[in-house]
This record gives sequence, structure tokens and C-alpha cells, in this order.
Amino acid sequence: MLLAFVTLTPFLGAILPLLAIRFGRNTCALAAGAVTLTALVLLMSQAPAVYDGEVITWGVPWLPMIGMSFSFFLDGLGLFFAALILGMGLLIILYARYYLGSEDPMGLFYFYLLLFQGAMVGIVLSDNILLLIVFWELTSLTSFLLIGYWSDQAASRQGARMALVVTGAGGLALIGGMLLLGHIAGSYEISEILQRGDVIRSSPLLLPTLLLILGGAFTKSAQFPFHFWLPHAMAAPTPVSAYLHSATMVKAGLFLLARFWPVFASTDAWFLIVAPVGLITMLIGAWIALFRDDLKALLAYSTVSHLGLTTMLLGMATPLAAIAAVFHILNHATFKAALFMSAGIVDHEAGTRDIRKLGGLLTLMPITATLAFIASASMAGIPLFNGFLSKEMMLEEASHTVYAGYPWIFPVLATLAALVSAAYSYRFAISTFLGKPRDDYPKKPHDPPVGMWLPVAILIVPVIAIGILPALTAGAIVERTALAVVGGQLPEYKLALWHGVTPALWMSVIALAGGALLFTAYRQAEALHRVFAGPEAKRLYDAAIAALVSGARAFTDATHNGSLPRYAGIILTAIVAVGATAFLSAPYAAGTREVIPVEFPALAAWVVLAAICVALLFWHRERLLALVLTSGVGLITSLAFLEFSAPDLALTQISVDIVTTILLLLALNLLPKTSRGEAPLAGRLGRSTLSAAVGLGVGALAYAIITRDFQSISDYHLAEAKPGGGGTNVVNVILVDFRGFDTFGEIIVLGIAAITIFALLDTALRGAAAKTLESIRSPEQSKDAHPLMLVVATRVLLPLALTVAVFIFLRGHNQPGGGFIAGLIVAVALIMQYLASGYAWAAERTSVDTQTVIGAGVAIAGLAGLGSLFFGWPFLTSTYTYVELPLIGEIELASAIAFDLGVFLAVVGVVMLSLAQISRVEERAEHEPVPEGPMDVPLKKGRIVSSNGQES
Amino acid sequence: MELLVASAIGLITAVGVYLILQQWTFPIVVGLTLLSYAVNIFLFAAGRLAVNQPPILTGADAYADPLPQALVLTAIVISFGMTALIVVLALRGFLETETDSADIPPDDLKADKR
Amino acid sequence: MTAGFTTDWVIAPAILPAMTAALLIVAWRRDIQMQRIVSVISAVALLGIALFLFDLASDGTVRAYRVGAWPAPFGIVLVLDRLSALMLLLAAGLALTVLVYALAGWDKRGRHFHALFHFQLLGLNGAFLTGDIFNLFVFFEVMLIASYGLMLHGAGARRLRAGFQYVAINLVASTLFLIAVGLIYGITGTLNMADLAQKVPQVTAGNEALLKTGAILLFLVFAIKAAFVPLHWWLPATYAAASAPVAALFAIMTKVGAYAIIRIFGTIFGDGAGALANMVIPWILPAALLTLAVGTIGLLASRRLLDLAAFSIVASMGTLLIAISLFDVDGLTTALYYLVHSTLTGAALFLIVDLISERRGETLDWLVPANPISQAPILGTLFFLIALGVVGLPPLSGFIGKLMVLDATYETRHVWLIWALVLVSSLMMTISFARAGSVVFWKIDGRTTGATWATAAIAPMAAVAVLVTASAALSVFAGPAVEVFHATAVQALDPAGYIDAVLTSQPAAQPTGQ
Repeated sequence: MLLAFVTLTPFLGAILPLLAIRFGRNTCALAAGAVTLTALVLLMSQAPAVYDGEVITWGVPWLPMIGMSFSFFLDGLGLFFAALILGMGLLIILYARYYLGSEDPMGLFYFYLLLFQGAMVGIVLSDNILLLIVFWELTSLTSFLLIGYWSDQAASRQGARMALVVTGAGGLALIGGMLLLGHIAGSYEISEILQRGDVIRSSPLLLPTLLLILGGAFTKSAQFPFHFWLPHAMAAPTPVSAYLHSATMVKAGLFLLARFWPVFASTDAWFLIVAPVGLITMLIGAWIALFRDDLKALLAYSTVSHLGLTTMLLGMATPLAAIAAVFHILNHATFKAALFMSAGIVDHEAGTRDIRKLGGLLTLMPITATLAFIASASMAGIPLFNGFLSKEMMLEEASHTVYAGYPWIFPVLATLAALVSAAYSYRFAISTFLGKPRDDYPKKPHDPPVGMWLPVAILIVPVIAIGILPALTAGAIVERTALAVVGGQLPEYKLALWHGVTPALWMSVIALAGGALLFTAYRQAEALHRVFAGPEAKRLYDAAIAALVSGARAFTDATHNGSLPRYAGIILTAIVAVGATAFLSAPYAAGTREVIPVEFPALAAWVVLAAICVALLFWHRERLLALVLTSGVGLITSLAFLEFSAPDLALTQISVDIVTTILLLLALNLLPKTSRGEAPLAGRLGRSTLSAAVGLGVGALAYAIITRDFQSISDYHLAEAKPGGGGTNVVNVILVDFRGFDTFGEIIVLGIAAITIFALLDTALRGAAAKTLESIRSPEQSKDAHPLMLVVATRVLLPLALTVAVFIFLRGHNQPGGGFIAGLIVAVALIMQYLASGYAWAAERTSVDTQTVIGAGVAIAGLAGLGSLFFGWPFLTSTYTYVELPLIGEIELASAIAFDLGVFLAVVGVVMLSLAQISRVEERAEHEPVPEGPMDVPLKKGRIVSSNGQES
Repeated sequence: MELLVASAIGLITAVGVYLILQQWTFPIVVGLTLLSYAVNIFLFAAGRLAVNQPPILTGADAYADPLPQALVLTAIVISFGMTALIVVLALRGFLETETDSADIPPDDLKADKR
Repeated sequence: MTAGFTTDWVIAPAILPAMTAALLIVAWRRDIQMQRIVSVISAVALLGIALFLFDLASDGTVRAYRVGAWPAPFGIVLVLDRLSALMLLLAAGLALTVLVYALAGWDKRGRHFHALFHFQLLGLNGAFLTGDIFNLFVFFEVMLIASYGLMLHGAGARRLRAGFQYVAINLVASTLFLIAVGLIYGITGTLNMADLAQKVPQVTAGNEALLKTGAILLFLVFAIKAAFVPLHWWLPATYAAASAPVAALFAIMTKVGAYAIIRIFGTIFGDGAGALANMVIPWILPAALLTLAVGTIGLLASRRLLDLAAFSIVASMGTLLIAISLFDVDGLTTALYYLVHSTLTGAALFLIVDLISERRGETLDWLVPANPISQAPILGTLFFLIALGVVGLPPLSGFIGKLMVLDATYETRHVWLIWALVLVSSLMMTISFARAGSVVFWKIDGRTTGATWATAAIAPMAAVAVLVTASAALSVFAGPAVEVFHATAVQALDPAGYIDAVLTSQPAAQPTGQ
């Protein structure tokens, strides 16, 4: 429980600085400090128990299905790191208070910093490895925000993104590795996993697991070849560099290595991979650091080098090396953070951190100089300072490490690395602080306020204390932590300044002396460096990203090129391919149903159809012709329906055909009359083959189906139509009763079509569209827009049509007919008025509002259905009774008829609306005065209502 | 008969597809209309073909399958609504952009209007 | 004999939006204020009903509602089970949030926004509830035509162009749907899903090829809806062109395809389907991986935030389909979790993009430096969080979703391929979103001066915040949530209860007149 609090405190407390900033910067810093202190105290309250060898665990399940739990555990290792993170955090917060400028949003800074702190503590205290990943990713994210803190600087933005991408990539690898680990070990709890080392080591998946986990660790800890992101992350404010990129976050990778040391260290792969990677990183980092003129860059690469050192020690896989690693983590954290802060002070006070512009600061800022000197000495590995001790232990281990049968590789290269790091340490200290004072500084340098150098001083204390009395000061910590790392007994070892004349001592001497030489010969070395300067990692990275993006763009632009024919082609091809595969992959037997003998009229109709189809292929670019031919197809379709005992379908199809044709005609009146251009032959061939394939497939399927017998549920409908539905026209009964719910949806589709069409054309008389309209000269425009004959004819036809409609509507339940057909008839009759007498004339007489009609249609249908609910029956339950009507005779008046009424209204509405709207647009094109505003608005003289309802 | 109907379906479908693969809106609309004819017959035929057996209860001993007929009626109505909409859409698009191409030109910062 | 009070509510998610929309058209066509009031009230009511039904279904029993009191399989049946209830709830919740967002002004940019919005809900709810494949077609059409209306809402050149392609491709899909229905009916002679589930196993060998073709064509219809690559072409342009609230609502449209696949191929062609058992499953994984890849590449290529959002929908469908491709309980549990997650984050992404671009003057959502936007801190935080959700980084639900997908695929044959693709695509998304975010919020170019209106932005931001919070909750309470999804998956993969509720336990026949 308490462990969870230690982790959560920074997260919960992160909000405080944001609030506290109102009360000034000190309050803000205090708030942040208080939060960190609280967490630290909570943690330390557990320290005694841990030092009695206890392991404290606590957890609750989070997502059992994948073994994810919100569980923590605390042992020596966790305690060591957590204390380091929180303790260092306090110093950084103090330092940052004075470092941040007045224009920097301090509340935000501490907010991010505390979030990071929480995530970091989470990593080292998590028991569940999936939980650990959560925190792991959170550190990447928060560091992204912290590096990008000065977001107006390009360097910050790029550095932040690079850090996020590289560590993010590692994080993803880690996810893979942890999932594998969990599956192998059968548990996601570290405390369990550590018990099952043998299971894991014997697993065939050991290597991939190890590699993925190392991928996470190496990217985070900037190991070669992932070392390049760290220096660019130094664009962050110095407190961030000191905290994340030297003391804590970059150590997360090391923590991971240490955490799973007991599981992996005894495998060959571990030693063969981890140790050399560390060695190379140590060497390369040091070499690059030597030639950096920016103090922070120098320290950054030095950090890379020291991380490499620690990695190498852990990779050596011996308990002694592990002890040395722990010890060095402690030492490095102290002197490196101190150095970063000093660099920050120099930058802050002198206005530059370029070594070439610095020198002689000793006299100008004595305190800072002294502190920085001691820290550098420790970094160089000079005796009496803690850096020397752990480096000595490192050299000792290296001296008897045999790699791949070569006993010299490790000792030599390790010494070389130590030599170079001595050199850059000298350079850092001497070129900055010694030499004659300069007066060409951007600002007048002087020691900073106490708050700024105090944290450095505090860090120097352990540097010296440990350096002189290691066993006394750090002995317990190192032992307890190392015990947790190796997870067993520790061998005989002693932390001491003097181990006698050992190989390591000589190596140290060589390193220190050689370093001095190298420093004095800096010019020549630099020339050498220029010769051997490899490609700049950032340039490679940027190039890679750029290539990635441009490649993606090339691909996406090429594929998603906005060409509908292409899209449709691909989709149809896919359908044909998949459909064919499916068909061929299952048994098929031809149908045995006896076929109906061919009759001549049918054959004739077929021939006509075929002719039409061929004609369409050749003359489809003549759009009017294409339209006529299409309606021909419609006609034959309805004839087919008639022939095969579907009178309702025939009636419906023919009337739909008419209306559709009118619709297309009206549209074509405004659209271009011909399709320009023709695709290249290849394209045409492709189209033809695809069309043929689709046609063939569908035709074949149809044939296969209709030539076999089957059992249908529709016998029930035939049987129940009369007794249950009260109608003899079974199709109609199915529509309004058995499957009334379909019809309900169908009405609504019509309604939606109508209002969408309205919404579309409503705006057509304004803006770009209107301009186009002006430009169109309608060819159909004749002198006499409304021929008298036509006008008269339509006027006479109207009442007639209405009567017919009513008739067809009412008989629908028993005979072919019904709401849909009736609606179409009425609509056509009405639309004739528009075409014949002109929009304006008709509109003035259209008191009825089409959209209301549509809405009413839907509403009536719905209400008709709801009615039955009140009698305790489900939606749409129908009942019926007999009514005697003149002319039509006795009919059943089924409640379902209300449904047909809904259909009727919706149809009238949609047809009227769409046709009328288009014809209105037409007339605009023909430059007739047309009332502004939508046609659904009842127009009164002298008052025009605009489309959105406001008076204009 | 069956062969005639099936082949007719195939023919109409093929032509419809061919027109859909054009790059102008109008042929595409026509093609879609043709497809809807074809599929209506297909769905209807799924109830098998029957001559002179309309499903209007007259005491006859056999009737054509009424269910697919009802489905097709619904389908016709729906496809009518769809056709009406896409026609108007094509028209509207033409009026707005002064071209009846069905392609989307690659948009760029300048051309972008909101 | 009566359907019973509680069961009557099953029809409510269909009736309420329909009547609301009709009312809006008839009564308040020109009164935007009344439209808004009624619209919101109805949406709230719908959410209430959805919650009630969700609670109802959580007892594990399947409830069949016989429209018109006709016995199944002859009439149309609506079925409420855990799965449909979950989808209803998701749709209703999303709808209300998006609606609130739209009230800030989007709904005034064209006619009939609210009516179309509720028609869209009707289509969705109907599709989730129906137990009849042709009725499913009808509600697909309702859903689609409403989406056309919404997508074209406010017109504009790009929208009209993209709209035409969207409509055309979907009409092809609808045609395909009818062919599939024809084939299935032509062999089995029924349309009722439960009835099919019983009849499919008994189909004679000679008929298998035709039935299988019908089923696979049906699958392809759903695949187009779910934007399987290479059937996804309609999606990027449409979503990028649609107005923000519409695109946000569309976040659930692709999921309808996923739902339909689970429903049809879990209930009818599942383990019990004899010779045709699980026949689509081999097709899903390849398509899923392809979808994820293409979506990720598109994301990486995006030059504007809208493309980023549109392609992240494609990519998320890819991940979702990977989970579905397993078609076992764990896979489906994962799929449902990811479905809910990707709907929430996808919608949130489109909304935040809109909020950003309306503050950037001329540069809109183009990824070029522009003047600083108003309320940058809030919007930046929201964008950051949503990006985390989409990319799949903690603490939002995307991360857990990704973990579940990786975990569920551990046992499969292509585990390495799947893991590699999922993880690499996460990395690519990280790159894309990091670039986008730093351009929009960090790389400020003071020279350009554009309009930065931020009036009445509280409600929209709140709407986005709600979605983000929901995603966060889904992450924090992953345990209980997954328990629900698990139960849902179990029920969806076992048609027995479904068949029993629809066919065996029939009520009395309906009343006949005299």
C-alpha cells in the first residue's frame, strides 16, 4: 500500500506547482519540493525493513486476463534507485528554482518534472513487468515534454522528438520482450520471474526475449549504436539534463539490466552481447566527448561513456563486477550531476558554455570553480575522490576478462577509455576555470546565489566522503544493493582506497598520465579526430526519417490517387477473386429443377435486351441515348416481372422507371451531354475483362440458383396472409405486415433521400453553383416555354391521376397495387404541372409542403406501429376489419394500411421534392425570374423567406 | 427460360459494371441504375421462376414465392431513393466544381476551401 | 401472451430516433433552437434506454422481440443480447457527446442536421438489433443514406467530390449485399439469423459452394464497411472531407462492419456450421495486417491533421481485425475492448483536429507553422492525450488494447509477423504524431496572422474531454470492463441461447380480426 503511495505521490502532487505558481516562484518550488520530500520520507520509512533483508510487496489486480496487476515490491535495488531518484530530485528542484528565467513557465516545469519523477519511481518499484512498461513509456513521454520545454527553439523540438522516437522504439521492443518473458515464466511479477530463472534460461525463446529486453535497456541508457539521441536531448534546460540525462532516466536501462541480472547473467548471450556493447560505448563516448566544445555536450558524451562502463560491468556477469557496477552508479550520479549543475551555472553566469570562449573563471567564480574541479577530478578517476574507486574496480575486473579467447581486448580498451576520459576531464576543468581571466564574456561572471551552488556542494560531500572512506560511507548501501542484484551470496570483496599494487593500479596510472599527455597534445589529437570523424549520427537519423516520410508519401499518393474508376476496379476485382475462390473451394452439384420451356416473346425480349446492352457499350458517351437505352432495360425488366408472376413488381418497376428517367433527364439538362475523352486501350481492355468477369459470375450464380429446388419459409406467408394479415395479395401483406419493419425502414430511406436532396439543392442557387448556372445556356430553351397543349393536358390529367391513385392504393392489400405505386402516380401527375406550367406557377399553387408530407409519412407509419403497443402487442402488430366502399367494393381495412399510407406520402414527398427542386434549378439556368429560397416555403406576396428561415 | 433470365442478369450486370468504371459521374449513375435492375431480377429469381402463378390468393394450387417479391419491392424503393440522391449529388457537384469528373483532385493548401 | 413491458423496450432504440427525426422535419424545420432542444433531449433519452437495455442484457439471457407478433422465422425479430446491448450503448454515448459538440455551430451550416443525425442513429441501432439478414440490409441502407446526408452536410467542393465516391462505392456494396441475400435465401429458404444458424449445418453437399459464396460475399460487404484494405478507398477522403462531428460519429460506422462480421459469422457460420464452419476466418488476418500497414503508411504520409485522423481510423481497424481474426473468446474479448477504445479515441481525434484547425486561420489543419492558437494549453493537452490513445501509449486505453492484442496473438502461428507489424506501426505512429504535434503546438510562426476565434468553445472542449475521460476510465477499470467483454464474447460465440430465444420459446400467435 505504502509503496503505491510512494509512486503515486509525485503524480498526484504534480498539480500543486501549477496551482502554487500564482503565489510566486518560491511557493511553487516549495510545493514541488514538499511533494518530493513526502515521497522520500514515505520511502525511507521502509528502509530499515529492507536493510533487515525484507522484501516488501503490495499489489492489486488490474487486468487479470493478461496478467497485468498494479503491484509493487521493494528490495535493496529498488530502494537504492528510488532514493537516488527522489534525493536527486530535491536538489534539482532547488537548483531549478534559481536556474529558470522569469519568462519560463515554472509551474509547468515542475509539473512535468514531478510526473517524470513519479514515472521513474514507478519503474524501479514495479513488481509487475507490464506495469513497469507503463511507467517506462511514461518516462519517455515526460522527458519528451521536458526536452521540448523551450519549444521555440528548433534544437529543443528536434531533440525531444529524437529522444521520444529512439526511446519509444526501445520501449516497444521492451513490450515484446516482457510479454515473451511473462509467457515463458508463467508470471508477470518480477518477484516470481526471479525465482524461475532456470525455466527462462532453458526456453528456446531465450535469445529473442533477451534481445528485445536489451533493445529497451540500450536505447534508454544510450548504449552504442543508440547513443546519439542523448547529446541532442541536452537542448533541455540544464536541470533536466542533470536529472534525466545523467542521474536517473538514462539509468533506467541499467536498472533493467541489474533487475534481471540473476535471470540472464549466467547465459553466454548475456556476456557476449552486453559486455562488449558497454565497452564500445565507453570508448566511443569518451573519444567524442574529448572533442566537444560545448560543456554540456562534453558532459553528455561523458555520460554515455560512463553508462557504457556500468553496462560493461553488468555484462561481465561476475558478482564482483556487479558490485562495482552498483558502486559506480552511485558515484557517477553524484559527480556527474554536480558537473552538469556547474556547467549550468557557468552558462547562466558567463552567458556561454563554449569551452573556446571560456577560461580563467577560477578567480571570477571561485566557489563554482572549486566544486567543479573536485567533481572533474572524480570524473577523471583521481584518487581520494569516489570516481577513482569504482573506476579502479572496473579496471580490476577488466584486467582478467577474457573475451572470445582474447585476454587483451578488455584490459587494453578499458584502459584506453579511462585514459581518454581522464583527458576530457582535464579539458573540462582546466580550459574552463584555469588560464588567465578573460573579459570578453557576454555577461559579467560571478558566483551564483547560494540556492544554485548549494546543491552542487551537497553533491560534492559524498564525492569526497566516499572517496576517502568508502566502506564506512557507502559500504552498507553497496552491499545491500549488490545483494539484490546478484540475488544470492556476495563473494569476498572490500571497498577501499588502497588495494595494494594490482594490475588495476598500473592501468589507472597509465590512464591518468596518458590522459594528461593526450590533453597537452590536444591539437594533434583533434586533427586525428577530424580524419577519423565518422558520419554525424543526427544527420543519418534525420535522413532516415525523411526517407521514411517521403517513401510513405510516394506510396500513399500513388495508391490513394482519388480516381474512382481505379478504386471501383480494385474493389470489384477483389470481390470477383474472393468470390471465385470461395465457390471453387466447396463441393457443387448442378440443379435438378425442371426448366420452363422458352417462349418466343421472352426470347424476343432477350434479343432486344442484348441489343440494348451492346448499344450501351458503344454509345454510352452519348448520354441522352444512354438514358433512353437504360429505360429500355427497365421496361424489359418489368416485363420479365410480369411474365414471371410478379405483377406488383412489374407495376412498381415501370413507374419507378418513368420517374427515374424524368429525374435523369432533368439532371442531364444541366450536365454535359456527352462524356468527353476515352481511356487508353489498356484501360478499356481491363474494364471490359473485369465487367465480363463480374457479369459472368453473377449470371452463373443466378443460373445455379434458379435451376435447383429449395424449401422456403414463404409457405407460411401464403397460408397466413388471409387469416392472419387479412389480405389476398400476399406480397403486399408481407410488405405491410409480416415484414412491415422492412417497409418502415424503406419509408425512412425515402424520407432521408428527400431531405438530403433538399439540403443539397437548397444551396445550389448561391455561391459557386449559382455562377455555373448563369453560365449554362439550356439548349431545350424554346420560345414558348410552356406549350398550351401540354399545359391543358396536364391540368386535365391531374384529377384523373389522383382517382386512379386512390383506387390502386386501396386495392393494394388484395390486388396488385399499394401505396408505393399510388404515390408515384400522384407524384408524376403533380410533377407534370411543374414541367408544363413552369416552376413559379406551380410553386405558388403548392400550398402543401413536401417536407411536411415526408415527415408525416414517417410519423404516420411509426404511429401506426406504435398503436399496437397500447394494446399490449408488439410494435406493428396489425388487425383488420371489413368495410364496404362504393366502386371498389368490400375491402379489408387492415391497420397495416396506415403503413401503406406512410409509404404513399413519403413517395409523393421525395419525388415531388427532388423533381421540383431540380426543375427549379433548371429554370434558374433558363434565366427565368425564380423566387429565392427553398420551394418548401409557402410564398406570400411581397415577402420572401430565405432558406434558413430568416426574413430577408 | 432460366438460361435466358440468368444470361440477361449477367448481361445487364456486365454493362452496368463497365459504365461504373467510367470516370464521369453520369455514366456511373446510369451504371448503378443498371446494376440495381440486374440485382432486383437476381433477388427475385432467388425465389425461382414461375409462370402464371401470381401470389394473389385465388384458391389456385400453386403460387410463385411471394417473399422474394416483397424483398425486391423494398429493394426497388430503396434503390430509387439512392438513385435520386446520387443524381442530385452528381448534378450538385457539377454545379459546384464545373466538372463532372468523379475523381478527387489531390488537394493542396491553396486549393483548400472550407 | 403480451410481449411484456421490459421486452417492449427492445424496440425503443429504433422508434425513438425515427419519431424524433420525423417530428423535427414536420414541426421545427426552420427553428434551430427547438431542433437543438428536442434533439438533445432525445439523445439523452436514448442513452438512458441504452443503459437500461445494457443492464437488462447483462443477466446473460437473450431477448427476442417479434415485430408484428409474427412467430420467427416468418416475421422480423429484434434480438437483444450482450453484444447488441454493448453496441447500442456505445453508439448512444458517442452520439450524445458528438451532438453536444455539433451544437457549437456545425449543425447550422446546412439543413436538417438533427433530423439526419437521428436517422443515422436509427440505422445504427436497427443494424445492431435486427435478427434478420434482409432487415439488416434495410437498416444498413438507412444508416448509409443518413450518413450520405450528414457527410454532405454543408456541401463545399471537396465534400461533394468525396461524397460522390462514398455513395457510389457504397451502392456497389449494397448491390453485393442483395446478391448475397439472394444466394443465401435461394439455398436455405430463410432470412432469420437463428433459423439460418440451424439450417446451414444441414445444407446438402451439392449446395455448399453456392451458400459459401453467398456467405463470403456478405462478408465482403461488411469488409467494405469495415474498410478492409483493399476495400477501404472510400474512407480516407470521406472522413477527411466530412464535417468534424460527422466524422466523429462515423468513427462507429466502420465498427458496424466489424459488429456484423462478429454477429453473422459467430452466430450463423461459427463452429456449429458444419462444412462451412468458420470459413471466413482465413481471410481476415491477411486483410487485417494489410489494413494496419496501409493505415500506418498513410499516417506517416499525412500532410494535414485530417489525413492523420482518417488514416489512424484505417490503422485502428487493422488492429481490431487482427483481434477478430482469432475468432475465439480471448480474441473477441480483445476485439471488443479495442472496438470501444478505437471508437472513443477516433471520434475524439476528429473533434480535437477540428478545434485546432478552426483556430489556425488560413492554414487550417495543414501541418505547416502557423500563428499560435488560442487556448493552446488545453487543446495541446487534449491532443497529446488523444495521440497517446491512438498510438497506444499509456496511460490511455490504447496501450492496454495493444497489450491485449499482442497477448491474444501469442499462441497463433504468425505471432512474429503480427507482433512486428503492431509494434513497428506504433513506432511509425509515434513519429507521425510527434511531428504533427510539435508543428502545431511548438513550431509557432509568428509572422502569419490569422483569425483565432475561440468563442463558445467550452462545450466542444468538454465534449472532447468526456471522450478522453471515457478512454482513461476504460484503461483504469480495464479489469471489470474486460470481464463484461469476456462475457459478451462467450455469448456471441455460442449461438445456442440466441437460437433458443428466437425460435424455441415462441409466444402465442397474433390476434386475428373477425
